[in-house]
Amino acid sequence: MDPITFSIIRHRLFRVIDEAVITLKHVSGSAITNEGHDLMVSLYRADGSLLMGGVGFLHHLTSAAEACKAIIRRFKGQINEGDVYLLNDPYTAALHTSDIYLVAPIHHEGKLVAWSACFVHVYDIGAMNPGGFSPESQDIFTEGISSPGLKLVDRGELRQDVLDTLLNMVRSPEMVTLDIRSMIACNNVAKDRMLALIRKYGYATVDEACAVLIEQSEKLLRSRLAELPDGQWQSRQYMDVKGETAKVCLTMTKKGDRLIFDFSGSSPQSKYALNCTKWASLGGLFAPLFPLLCYDITWNEGVIRPITMIAPEGSIVNCTRPAPVSVATVGAIQSVNNAACATIGKMLAASEKYRTEATAVWHANHFAIFMFGTNQRGGLSIGILTETFAGAGGARTFADGVDVGGEIPNPISRMANVETMESTFPLRYLFRRRLPDSGGPGQFRGGLGMEIALTPHDAPDGGLHYVVSGKGAKYSMSEGLGGGYPGAPNRYVWVHNNEVADQRNIDPSFALSLEEMPGRTEDISWGVFPLMGKDALYVAWNGGGGFGDPLERDPEQVRIDVDGRFVTREAARKVYGVVTDAKGIVDLAATKALRQEMRFARMERRAAE
Amino acid sequence: MNRPIAANLEIRTTKDGDRIACRACGHPLAPAGDAWKRHAVLRELSMNGAGGKAYTGAQEALLRQFACPGCGVLLDSEMALPGEPFLDDIVRA
Repeated sequence: MDPITFSIIRHRLFRVIDEAVITLKHVSGSAITNEGHDLMVSLYRADGSLLMGGVGFLHHLTSAAEACKAIIRRFKGQINEGDVYLLNDPYTAALHTSDIYLVAPIHHEGKLVAWSACFVHVYDIGAMNPGGFSPESQDIFTEGISSPGLKLVDRGELRQDVLDTLLNMVRSPEMVTLDIRSMIACNNVAKDRMLALIRKYGYATVDEACAVLIEQSEKLLRSRLAELPDGQWQSRQYMDVKGETAKVCLTMTKKGDRLIFDFSGSSPQSKYALNCTKWASLGGLFAPLFPLLCYDITWNEGVIRPITMIAPEGSIVNCTRPAPVSVATVGAIQSVNNAACATIGKMLAASEKYRTEATAVWHANHFAIFMFGTNQRGGLSIGILTETFAGAGGARTFADGVDVGGEIPNPISRMANVETMESTFPLRYLFRRRLPDSGGPGQFRGGLGMEIALTPHDAPDGGLHYVVSGKGAKYSMSEGLGGGYPGAPNRYVWVHNNEVADQRNIDPSFALSLEEMPGRTEDISWGVFPLMGKDALYVAWNGGGGFGDPLERDPEQVRIDVDGRFVTREAARKVYGVVTDAKGIVDLAATKALRQEMRFARMERRAAE
Repeated sequence: MNRPIAANLEIRTTKDGDRIACRACGHPLAPAGDAWKRHAVLRELSMNGAGGKAYTGAQEALLRQFACPGCGVLLDSEMALPGEPFLDDIVRA
């Protein structure tokens, strides 16, 4: 087809999604959507296959394709122009119940020609615990509303009885209805813009361009894979929940123009809600694959074809009903994502041509804390601490990871400012800053994570509660690359400061660090906890993985890191082998001698067995 | 011609055939296409404090470091619980 027309249509498809995303953000009223960008919009072919993946959380691109296909199967012969369908059952296609898909057919002259699909993490889904992440759930039945597909809008008319039924089962129905209406509006905009495109160029031309686009993506990815060396790369992730450790194991094999992701060896499904379903695992492995291998290729069905996934049934990466999955997106899915990022990074690093595209693992451990309680205006607030999206970049083969640089599976994630959070919840931030030493050491350092501390403020009930799904407090999850260390693990600390036994009862408002806070500290990680009175919540989260040998890092760069409080003086010496004098100036001779001594010490150890 | 296969590893052609070798000093480790970690020098550290002050957590988690027997440069690192097999990365020659 005419390359100019093809190129214009391709770009118009990108813009259709961009405009739909803007609509979603403008209509939704929750910080998780319009601040954290926990959302996704994509376009699909008439058969439900992915046509154009949009930004947002990328592990939804393939799952929403499956959602479209599930709706096509369920409503065969009943899909009409102007319909909108809702699906959020994880055992059908969704990742967890609180990420609701709204998918809408696009008809042209009475013929189904495409689908638009979007999701947001709704304000609440009626699970045991507010906000959707429900660590106390024992099965899918306690994780809120779960629909394998229902018609929410019929020929352009909202089915109020259906919506009212949904809203009758959630907390804060006024916010949930806004979330749902934002998705309806988003799909309406996507449909209008798609139809405008078809009207301008004609259906046959647009349809041909879409088919060519998918063929092109497949061809380009296969060509790229053929350029990369054949081999196998492995990764392993540990997740800790209440004393139990689960693991996700991955062997990625690349042969010719194909990639196989084999999760054999992963733990059996857990009684805790960090499991994920098969469709979720598939989405999890594609989330890093799209940006790392297809950064210049359109994300569509063509990219999916060269990829095979093996996920043993009954395992933590392919659980069976009714296993709980509400924490999946920050549990097994994120570990699948991390493991895929690690193996793809290692494969890229094995190629002279693509070495500079390799990366250590980025933000590997969302802490996803949901606060809930009566706010300073007397209403109910439920919502995530959007700092969970403020991850750290993994180191590259030529540069440090970006401090608080976001995350790979969501290229547009971000956190709200402190004032937004303090106006949403009766809270006060004691500090929010980068966390020294959290980036994995290496020749190039992983980006830093952060630390925050919160206390109740102006709370009618004396405080509020929070849900924490904090796997990863025991184990580092941001793997390093080429000898680089993994990033630091997360930490969650409840500072008790209003107990009768504690006579000090000092206001923690001016504490500048965890060590300065009065009261007894308790490490926590999983469940629902109070934040009342003068208690505080301290959270520290992971940095990105490092790249290469820390003893190869430029000593002057280490000094800059120490001066800037990116790295402590202790770590500079112990990990990087850099010696500084009393003024902080690098002693090059002493550094050279110390590093040589450290290398000799390594060589004296036993050979690996 | 030497062909890099990881940050500090490459394949070198020697009189004994293609070998995986340290990029820094050329020390041969294993035949090309083999798992090489068994031929490196292993050091296992507790992850607790391994990377600095922020590394808290499980005492039993280990940071495995695989170093070149010839020059001591770090070839790879991995986190593991005791008894776990090595993560084997194999690049076909």
